[in-house]
Amino acid sequence: MITKLMRTGLAAGLLAATALTAVPALAQQTTLTLGADAADIGSLDPHFASSTSDRTLAAWVFGGLVRFQPGSTDPAGIEPDLAESWESTDDKLEWTFHLRQGVQWQGGYGEVTADDVVFSIEKAMNPDTSAFSGDYAAVDSVEAVDPYTVKVTLKNQIPSVLGILANYAGGFIVSKAAYEERGESFARNPIGFGPFELDSVEPGVSATFKGHADYFRGAPQLESVVYRFLTSSSARDLAFVSGEIDASKGLADKQWLARSSAIEGAAVDIFDPAELSLLNINVTQAPFDDIKVRQAVAHAVNPDIFVQYRGPEFTRPGKSVIPSNNLGFSEDVGMYEYDPEASKALLEEAGYGDGLTVKMLASQLNSLESNALLLQSLFEEAGITLELEPVEHATWHQMIRQDLSPLVQYGAARFPVADVYLTQFFHSDSAIGAPGQVTNFSHCSVADDQIEAARVETDPVKQLALWKEAQELIVKEVCAVPMAEVAQVWVRKAALDWGYELKGAMSLGPVVTEATHFTE
Amino acid sequence: MLTFILKRLGFALITLICVLTLVFLVVRILPGDPALVILGDQASPDSVAALRDRLGLNDPILVQYASFLGRALQGDLGNSMVTGRPVTSEILNVLPYTLELTFAALVLGTVLGVPAGVWAAVRRNRIPDYLMRLVSLIGLSLPAFVAAIILMMVFAIHFGWFPVISAGNAETLTERLRQMALPTLALALIMMAYITRVTRSAMLEVLSQDFVRTARAKGVSPSRVVWTHALGNCLIPITTVVGLYLGILIGNSVLTEIVFSRPGLGKLILTALTQRDYTLLQGMIVVYTLMVVVVNLATDLTYGLLDPRIQYK
Repeated sequence: MITKLMRTGLAAGLLAATALTAVPALAQQTTLTLGADAADIGSLDPHFASSTSDRTLAAWVFGGLVRFQPGSTDPAGIEPDLAESWESTDDKLEWTFHLRQGVQWQGGYGEVTADDVVFSIEKAMNPDTSAFSGDYAAVDSVEAVDPYTVKVTLKNQIPSVLGILANYAGGFIVSKAAYEERGESFARNPIGFGPFELDSVEPGVSATFKGHADYFRGAPQLESVVYRFLTSSSARDLAFVSGEIDASKGLADKQWLARSSAIEGAAVDIFDPAELSLLNINVTQAPFDDIKVRQAVAHAVNPDIFVQYRGPEFTRPGKSVIPSNNLGFSEDVGMYEYDPEASKALLEEAGYGDGLTVKMLASQLNSLESNALLLQSLFEEAGITLELEPVEHATWHQMIRQDLSPLVQYGAARFPVADVYLTQFFHSDSAIGAPGQVTNFSHCSVADDQIEAARVETDPVKQLALWKEAQELIVKEVCAVPMAEVAQVWVRKAALDWGYELKGAMSLGPVVTEATHFTE
Repeated sequence: MLTFILKRLGFALITLICVLTLVFLVVRILPGDPALVILGDQASPDSVAALRDRLGLNDPILVQYASFLGRALQGDLGNSMVTGRPVTSEILNVLPYTLELTFAALVLGTVLGVPAGVWAAVRRNRIPDYLMRLVSLIGLSLPAFVAAIILMMVFAIHFGWFPVISAGNAETLTERLRQMALPTLALALIMMAYITRVTRSAMLEVLSQDFVRTARAKGVSPSRVVWTHALGNCLIPITTVVGLYLGILIGNSVLTEIVFSRPGLGKLILTALTQRDYTLLQGMIVVYTLMVVVVNLATDLTYGLLDPRIQYK
């Protein structure tokens, strides 16, 4: 609310100011200052880094056995990081990784060896020391064959073995010696082998990173990176205009894009993963236990409205129930057409000819709130009255996990292999109230067989077919209605070169690498 | 005097325990699960359960309460659930920022506000009076963050005299003052508005009293009548407002902190609240309560300095 008010109040003024102020001439620069939408550091233990901001930082400090190519979220492009090469047995259950020699830890902790890798994967598997232990359920054992060889044995096949060993979430490798020495304070004094190491933190003000001189791909061109905590989006915008920061997290908002693109010497990066917003419908609660009512809702939603409202530059209409960058995504899954008249007819058949009134808990988070209002107006046209019950964001998170809202609008990006999104949102094991509860708000179970079969399918073609079938079944059953996908957006000085083309970042923010530099 | 202070401190301790109990209960009644906020929505259910266990959230509520109160009374506020740092150091990290800003705003607001109020009262219903009333009305009605953004647009962006980010990495005193200037001004404007209005109305009342007329009749110089005789008798209401407002200022500077990207207590408590960081929230409420108690006590003691007729019993 506060930021929204400030943004509205600021919009006009900022335009005037940008016209008046020239961006100062840049000298050759070796310190990069970034504006972050965070109040402070949460945890820099990569296995606990769950906020957007902490994930962004973890990717600078740590590396994995393998990595996503900088600037990409394509799992097909995963390339060597610590591991130079790897091979697997024919049944894909035993994987052997050959480590690069001479890779150095930050802070003088010596060489990275197989022991560190084993320690890290075991740490990521343990629910006491990792938030992502669930991702490693299929790992049977990890062992160090010799100081430069690691063998990972699986209980059963999983869709992306490299995915859980890449530079993302539980896949980051920590220094065993540093972790054992520092214990819980490792989260504030992390040691990785990535291009930048944490130098100092001024709580609530900034975190400073310095280049890791012994980084195995070469010493970073930047000497240091200052990460400023600027929670107010208008403060970030003004600090960028005044030249106090070189790049900053933006807002996925048309007006913001227009303002920022107009700044002289500025460039905007729009990148994956885009968060897909779904309207999840609880199929077990009246009136939505009637498929006709759910179909009426599906016909009422027009994804293009969200695109028009937010801006087509970073918004795409939802075309399936999983994000479009996922391996296994299919565009041809039999989505219901936008047709409010068809909704009315279906409601009539279901016995709601006089109109239907439904309730939805709505988070007061800006982006969710505006989407909810758009939904309300779309529903109106289809003869459905949507009563929104606004609640504070953390409260909303808890309430929707108690089945208190039959409609749940939820935006998320996940590891880009269909299995993850399908399992978390549509497999009955993940249903609210189930022992393995994740985010299956709809209590969907129609595609359980396909999801499970695809998970262990070795033939990629058959696997894709199973995932497509799962999406079709979920769409047909109307467990969820796709709304739109919104990409990540940052603004930077044009003279700042990330060192790669920023089209995607699994860490949800730009990865500062050894190649990142200023061109002026 | 000493008995008075001891008695007040005794009451303060009781207040503190009541507030602690209330806060302990309220943060736990609030919906929202800290473990979920900390681990994010992709965490495995096992990890969430393990964290709840580590944070002691699975213990019976009375056990949690007893351990919290016991440690709090020994001065240990525990560790932040989110960052794992001790709550005391989390608070001490930002406290200097809040205090420097609050006191700078307080001094500036008083130095500007008192003379403005006096001037308005003396020139009642004439141009200076209207001007002061208008300015103070603007100060009171303009939301703090709007004033802050206007100041920033004009002085930081257009003229470039001050930085947009008002915190951190100041090597020299001048740089530090430059960083503090705009946030101080933003807060002082509101402070000044309050003080101007209170001073003006108190002065109007005093100026119409008999002793003022007598002083004038005796031939005391007009400025001495106003600045010594009259203003001296207005100091009690002014001190009350300053004291009251000081408490409000410490708590309500959050918008100023956000706009100027400064750390501070307001921002810290907001973050603690959105993250459901129970221990940090509890600790901050303790600190707030202590500050309000101390400010109130200081205000009461100041009365005695200003008016010798006031006795502490």
